[in-house]
Amino acid sequence: MNIKEYIESGIIESYVMGLASESERAEFERLCTQYPELVAARRKFEDRLEAYASENAVPPPPEVKVKVLEVVGKESRPVIPSTNPPKIINMENQTQSHSSGTMKFLAAAAVVLLISMVYLYFQTKQENKDLSSANDRLREKVTETDSILKKIVGEQRAINDSNTLVVNMVGTKVAPKSSANVYWDSASSKVYLVVKNMPQLPSDQQYQLWALIDGKPADLGVFDATDQKVILQMKNSRKAQAFAITIEKKGGSPSPTLDKMQSLGKTMLTQ
Amino acid sequence: MLALKERNNQAFGFLYDHYSGALYSIIKQIIVDNNELASDVLQEVFINIWRKIETYDQTKGRLFTWMLNIARNASIDTLRSKSYQNSQKNQELPDNVYKGVANQIIQQNVDNIGLKKVLETLKPEHRVLVEMAYFKGFTHEEIAEIMSIPLGTVKTRIRNALLQLRQFLK
Repeated sequence: MNIKEYIESGIIESYVMGLASESERAEFERLCTQYPELVAARRKFEDRLEAYASENAVPPPPEVKVKVLEVVGKESRPVIPSTNPPKIINMENQTQSHSSGTMKFLAAAAVVLLISMVYLYFQTKQENKDLSSANDRLREKVTETDSILKKIVGEQRAINDSNTLVVNMVGTKVAPKSSANVYWDSASSKVYLVVKNMPQLPSDQQYQLWALIDGKPADLGVFDATDQKVILQMKNSRKAQAFAITIEKKGGSPSPTLDKMQSLGKTMLTQ
Repeated sequence: MLALKERNNQAFGFLYDHYSGALYSIIKQIIVDNNELASDVLQEVFINIWRKIETYDQTKGRLFTWMLNIARNASIDTLRSKSYQNSQKNQELPDNVYKGVANQIIQQNVDNIGLKKVLETLKPEHRVLVEMAYFKGFTHEEIAEIMSIPLGTVKTRIRNALLQLRQFLK
């Protein structure tokens, strides 16, 4: 069905103004549940019609409002006050005439019962609220733990995979103590880095991992010394002959600053 | 509970103040020549709105649309009631009542208010159909018979007229 044509057919105006036939109304209402644009167009016309009718309003004689509110007032008044007062008077008469201790006791018992029920109700409600929020917290925790576990399992799988190559990155002359391991999955070409020992850098600098592919360096991403022993998932890399780590300005550089090379490791493919 | 009822009353008072003028206008456009009767209908309409407010379904349209249709239906019912027809008897011959309606509509140009003013912008052959359908409450079939035009033509002309109306309301 072409809803645009339908909207432009005059059916909206016909429906809103009460001129549509029974079957047209049924169809229109059914389509309204399917097409939000039809509802929007209907509302637009209704608003226009209302605005126009308001602009052209004719003030009715004031006595009409008086009569209407009179009827409305009568019908809205609760029925209880008109039927209950006689009963209340009867009870008062009874208590006054008998004024027995039993009645007083019963009244007191009823009040105590009412108070305790109200108390119980609020207590249960509070308990329910507490339990439900504790439950929510627990659920959040489980979701969080679950996602951490999934991540660890995924990384573990990558590292232990038979396709994964371990590249031991040794320190250069500039930084003899620097060391890290690169785990390179040549099948999925994912690269993981485990920082073993990298010196802390000034806050405006970061380490950057490179892959040397056919003698050209390719950026694999940046990391901080504080990421020690954390597995970083670096950008994917194919055909790497070696990996290198340099110190670059924060966020990384387009090409490596080779005199600041910290660590280098060759893949077995080139050996 | 009592407070809620009172609030409801206040809300209803507000509803009356806000919409009575617009509804009175539409009633007067249908019951054209009798202000007293139009006031009576307005009173009946608001009491009906009060009594039937629970049946209003907002998925089917705005509150004003719902009230407008109650006002229109009540006015048309009054127009068609025996007592009203009797009071009008001396003006029209019963045999000619339908043709009379059509002629009356065409002649009735003076003192037009509200939506009827919009209708003046329509072609006469379109206007008379909308008048009959909307302000007199004739079904499309009845109009086709009275005016001796095919039902399909009646439907198309009314739809076209309503689309023009929408343009005017912009």
